[in-house]
Amino acid sequence: MILAVCGKGGVGKTTVSAIGAKALAGSGRKALIVDADPAGGLAMALGIEPASTLNDVRKALIEEVKAGRRDEKDLAVSVDYLVAEALTERGNLAFLSIGRPEDVGCYCKVNVILKDAIEMLGGLFGAVLVDAEAGIEQVNRKVMGAVDYVLLVSDTSAKAVRVAETIREVSGRMIPEAGAGLLVNRVRGPAEADRVAAGTSLEVVGRVPEDDTVREFDASQRSFFDLPECPASVAVESALAAAGLL
Amino acid sequence: MGLFDEQLTQVRRFLREAEEAGRLRRLDASPSKPWPSGSSLVLREDTALELGNPSIGSLSMLIWCEEGAARDGAVSLVGPDLGEAEGTDMPFAQVVIAAGEFPNEYDSYRDLRDAVYDTKLKGLSVRAMPSKQVLWCRVSREAAGGGLSLGHLGAALLGNLREVPGVTAAETLFVTSGSADIARLSGAAAGARRLVDAMMKMYQEKNFDCETCEYQDVCETVMDLKKIRKKLADGKAV
Repeated sequence: MILAVCGKGGVGKTTVSAIGAKALAGSGRKALIVDADPAGGLAMALGIEPASTLNDVRKALIEEVKAGRRDEKDLAVSVDYLVAEALTERGNLAFLSIGRPEDVGCYCKVNVILKDAIEMLGGLFGAVLVDAEAGIEQVNRKVMGAVDYVLLVSDTSAKAVRVAETIREVSGRMIPEAGAGLLVNRVRGPAEADRVAAGTSLEVVGRVPEDDTVREFDASQRSFFDLPECPASVAVESALAAAGLL
Repeated sequence: MGLFDEQLTQVRRFLREAEEAGRLRRLDASPSKPWPSGSSLVLREDTALELGNPSIGSLSMLIWCEEGAARDGAVSLVGPDLGEAEGTDMPFAQVVIAAGEFPNEYDSYRDLRDAVYDTKLKGLSVRAMPSKQVLWCRVSREAAGGGLSLGHLGAALLGNLREVPGVTAAETLFVTSGSADIARLSGAAAGARRLVDAMMKMYQEKNFDCETCEYQDVCETVMDLKKIRKKLADGKAV
């Protein structure tokens, strides 16, 4: 089960993902948490300091190719090793950060090998949670070809809901077999949530209330692994369970 | 003469000295019950034993030789087996020797290498970095409790190698005794890697401008590489 958390920037994707990671930690299932946002906010929210990132793996592979090692099997085996090195483990969870691409140039072979490796790695875990980049870029680039469910996160603003609808439209074309649902974040009462639900064709799978505990954790940079049960965590976990991740 | 004669001599010397010192063990290469195969993800919390962490010693080497130069079915071990490990990690070297007839070195190398890479046992995660010749493994608690041994791994490797076309015999050597022993094999492993890299370059690039090639030294000294170069340059290889 691969679930991607998508949405407009600033709507709380990373918070939702961090709550999901905590829930997965408690589930005992082997789970892979992917911070696919180059800003790396999920690592910070969870208090994880990755030793290396997928972009470091990519750079190492490019060096292999530049050194004349172009055999696909050797490269595939190498990426498996390097990705394993880039994983930060915490109990039943493994965390992988995408990192920030800094190098230029076309390395299609390397990118294909990387994508295959990530998909294969994902297959070894019972659950994979991806905190996606803001917007639709990763959906457009088919980075998330193997995703089973797209959890669209928005706040109550019309703009955020429109972005979620656009992501759904694109993901529906790219990965038509994947499920999708809208999680409305930072809701300040039933009327506001009803207004959002009435104004969109997306299926609303959860309403996450504005929550002081979450705000405090965000403000003080405390690890979400220590987040106590609170209304927001209950709502997020319920949506993730309904999607089949938990 | 074979491509890896020098490396094979070094490995044989290592084995002989270990045997003379009473440190060489022969493992059962046909255990009564083969270990089930399958890819495994072993997270740290499930790990009973880690093998070949590069910080304490790791080495992987694959060489091939002419018929009769390998001791078919031999699985040798210098150091403790998995169930005898003290602590939770051990250095690890895996040396694989295949013997037979390999008319196309490039294809044969790839077949042999794939046979090694594709040897996967349930409860044993194996990660390899070919350019660094390291092999980093984790044994799950379940596999350790169930009696997984290096004999099982050796038997699985030999079984896969015997299915490679041209292979008539195969043997493996594992070293878990310490980083000093692994360091004694590192020269042979580095030499083997360089020969393979030179051969791969010849086959992949078909560029025989020796003046600009970084492998000129090995091609000039290893007769079999010269033969491969000549064969390819003459356009005889397919």
